[in-house]
Amino acid sequence: MNIFRLHYRLERKTIGFLLAIVGVASIGGAVEIAPLFTIHQTVEDAPDMRVYTPLEIAGRNIYLREGCYACHSQMIRTLRDEVERYGPYSLAVESKYDHPMLWGSKRTGPDLARMGNKYSDEWHVAHMTDPRAVVPASVMPPYAYLGRATARIDDLGLHLKALRTVGVPYTDEMIANATADAYGQAAPDTPFAEGVTKRYGEATNVRSFDGKVGDPTELDALIAYLQILGKLTDAAHRPVAAAGE
Amino acid sequence: MENDLTVWLSKSFGLFYLIAMSIGIVAYAYWPSNKKQFDDAAQSILGNEDRPWR
Amino acid sequence: MIAQLTKSERQLALVILLAITICGLAMGIAGRDDPLGVHGAIVILAGLAGIFGVIYAYYEPEPSEARLALYYDDPSKVGIILAMGWVLIGLFIGDWVAWQLVFPNLTFDAGWSSFGRIRPAHTSAVIFGFGGNALIATSFYVLQRTSRARLPDQLSPWFVLLGYNLFCIIAATGYLMGVTQSKEYAEPEWYADIWLVVVWVAYFIIYLRTLVRRKEPHIYVSNWYYMAFILVVAILHIVNNLAVPVSWGHAKSYSAFSGVQDAMTQWWYGHNAVAFFLTSGFLGMMYYYMPIRAGRPIFSYRLSIISFWGITFMYMWAGSHHLHYTALPQWVQTLGMTFSIMLLVPSWASAGNALLTLNGAWHKVRDDATLRFMMVAAVFYGLSTFEGSFMAIRSVNSLSHYTDWTVGHVHAGALGWVAMITFGSIYASVPWLWKRERMYSDRLVEWHFWLALSGTLVYVFAMWNSGIIQGLMWRTYTESGTLAYSFVDSVAAMRPYYIARAIGGLMFLSGAVIGCVNIWMTIRAAHQPADERLADRPVPRPAGVPAFQPGE
Ligand code: HEC
Repeated sequence: MNIFRLHYRLERKTIGFLLAIVGVASIGGAVEIAPLFTIHQTVEDAPDMRVYTPLEIAGRNIYLREGCYACHSQMIRTLRDEVERYGPYSLAVESKYDHPMLWGSKRTGPDLARMGNKYSDEWHVAHMTDPRAVVPASVMPPYAYLGRATARIDDLGLHLKALRTVGVPYTDEMIANATADAYGQAAPDTPFAEGVTKRYGEATNVRSFDGKVGDPTELDALIAYLQILGKLTDAAHRPVAAAGE
Repeated sequence: MENDLTVWLSKSFGLFYLIAMSIGIVAYAYWPSNKKQFDDAAQSILGNEDRPWR
Repeated sequence: MIAQLTKSERQLALVILLAITICGLAMGIAGRDDPLGVHGAIVILAGLAGIFGVIYAYYEPEPSEARLALYYDDPSKVGIILAMGWVLIGLFIGDWVAWQLVFPNLTFDAGWSSFGRIRPAHTSAVIFGFGGNALIATSFYVLQRTSRARLPDQLSPWFVLLGYNLFCIIAATGYLMGVTQSKEYAEPEWYADIWLVVVWVAYFIIYLRTLVRRKEPHIYVSNWYYMAFILVVAILHIVNNLAVPVSWGHAKSYSAFSGVQDAMTQWWYGHNAVAFFLTSGFLGMMYYYMPIRAGRPIFSYRLSIISFWGITFMYMWAGSHHLHYTALPQWVQTLGMTFSIMLLVPSWASAGNALLTLNGAWHKVRDDATLRFMMVAAVFYGLSTFEGSFMAIRSVNSLSHYTDWTVGHVHAGALGWVAMITFGSIYASVPWLWKRERMYSDRLVEWHFWLALSGTLVYVFAMWNSGIIQGLMWRTYTESGTLAYSFVDSVAAMRPYYIARAIGGLMFLSGAVIGCVNIWMTIRAAHQPADERLADRPVPRPAGVPAFQPGE
């Protein structure tokens, strides 16, 4: 086929048509999404907001890995019954360090956005090991194997670094000490524990979450994460947590 | 860019764009000289063709 | 397969396979103490298997020039078989997940089998494995017929089809190992995503190269839908999956977006995956197979064009209805709701167009289960798009969101629309592709049809009930103004519906098993005499349809 004719036809119909599809289709997304990137001007301020500790990041990654988000949301809507059931409705700022967000789309289990400090660590250990031993009607899967597996913490520095690349303000010091801090957070009586509160704030939970000494287990990490949910900032508790439209 | 401005643009522009689009598409679909092309196209798949044209 | 490649294509295939193997090797070494290493091994195996296959047949005679006078249908055949394989896997896992909500200990105390890991395996196997393979297979078929041109070469269709399946395998095995981005319907990690982009570009180029060589002045509307599917899925996929890997040796990556931006991007992706993967492509299928099977041209070609642009334009705005009453700015929610409601117009235009096409062919619908599959698909398409617009209304959504109603809605679309139109199209094209007079057994098609339809209805009704009950229980107050039910009360109330749903799913699965058997027997049936094979498809030309005039 003649190369010029080919080009002619390619240009006139097919390509024009393809461009039309791309043009027509991409506008909707652009118009809705683009303004969200200027949103920091209107979103709530939360100067007290802290980042996740390395152990909490490890726990969060287990939450992702196990697909907890398939059954649990982390987004309390501005509806009266939700606020009364779960606590103050979620603010945008609360998930600003969540890469990716875990707002969820299905509540086979309850919302977890304000799970921090709702239950004791022991409750969580028992519940994660065998949900039906704690809540007989539960349909949550048993996660006993998390208590048997040692959490991988040796590479957490790389994780924090990647998170810094996408915009979470981790300092060099945090990145350098990530593994030690992860260990220290679950081992309160060791010299490593001190650095955790120094770097992440006095309010950080430093304790053995699964009640066992030694290297942190995956259960340690997961519970450390669950106990911080909704606790990174107080912002949601500050405005009148009035519900409804 | 200001958030208010982008938001305003999004809200207003979307509407105009939608209306212009709809008019354009309907005009194209019902343009008299296009009728034959469309009718032929609708019939074309029913033809009993078993091999590519060469 | 290999024998159909020319010498230079065989050489190119070897180069590509070698490159794939080397990539696998690199993944295996860099990720040796990470799930990435396992995927490296899978990639190496796939690459080596391909290399051995090509070398084994390397010295077979080259295909003759005569092939150029025929359509190239082998990729479509394999694609259909793969689609049927994936649907069995996907439906099986789906029903297993459903039973887990009845018997939660069906995980056998292992990680890989727990709900959160096999649920994405289910969704990916049915959407990408079944749906994707069916789309690729039928799009190659339709593209060639409507362009009256053969695929541009013999190698790239195989690259697309098999490469795509490699992606599906990496995705599915990844979930079982816990490799996931946890973005719904975009779970595969960065390396799988990059690979999909490569495959997708090749797919797009095939489309372009065939269309450019078309002998028809007009591009038939099915191709519009298929092309929107290819193009927009590419845009969505690339944007939503932007992420930074922890290192080259880690499967894990962190999404470039966070919080509210991530939520909006994710549901912009998620909803348009429904629109352009599960709707647009399958509408393309419908606009081709339904008129032919019914022996009547599409009711209104113009309407199909208008609905095409309507769908392409409006869906893109609708995603934010997944985020009503959340921390997403309200104006975005309102915009999403408005467009979701307007979407009803092009959606019903498509559904109506399909059903009106059957006007005058209702006796065929009665007698022919294949056509009935397509008819029911159009009805479910109409129903679930109506339901979708309805659920996008803020106040309705406040009740339905987070509940099983959403799950029911998705399955009305997925089982009722996507799967039914696909089964219909597959039943139509298997005899055409393998040059058989008809399917092995029409009765088995009937069985499949009724099992699929009743399974879908059981499923959807169970989920409507459970979803609405759940939503109401969460917001019921006692007279003294406190919440009447604990969350666990609502969990306990779901049990009968979860059982019903699992049974409905089992029916649908049994139907698909029957379908596979039927297709297999059709393929295995002895070859037919050559003169019967001459005609591309054994559909008699309906009365009143003029023969096609060359050179128009
Ligand atoms: C099959 C769906 C399902 C999956 C997957 C699931 N859960 Fe649950 N979860 C439930 C249900 C149902 C409940 C309510 C009954 C109960 O407390 O066990 C629940 C309750 C909880 C609670 C107590 C909430 C409260 O307010 O009482 C926590 C904490 C929890 N799940 C954490 C997790 C974590 C962490 C994971 C992932 C490792 C997970 N769940 C995975 C269904 C699920």
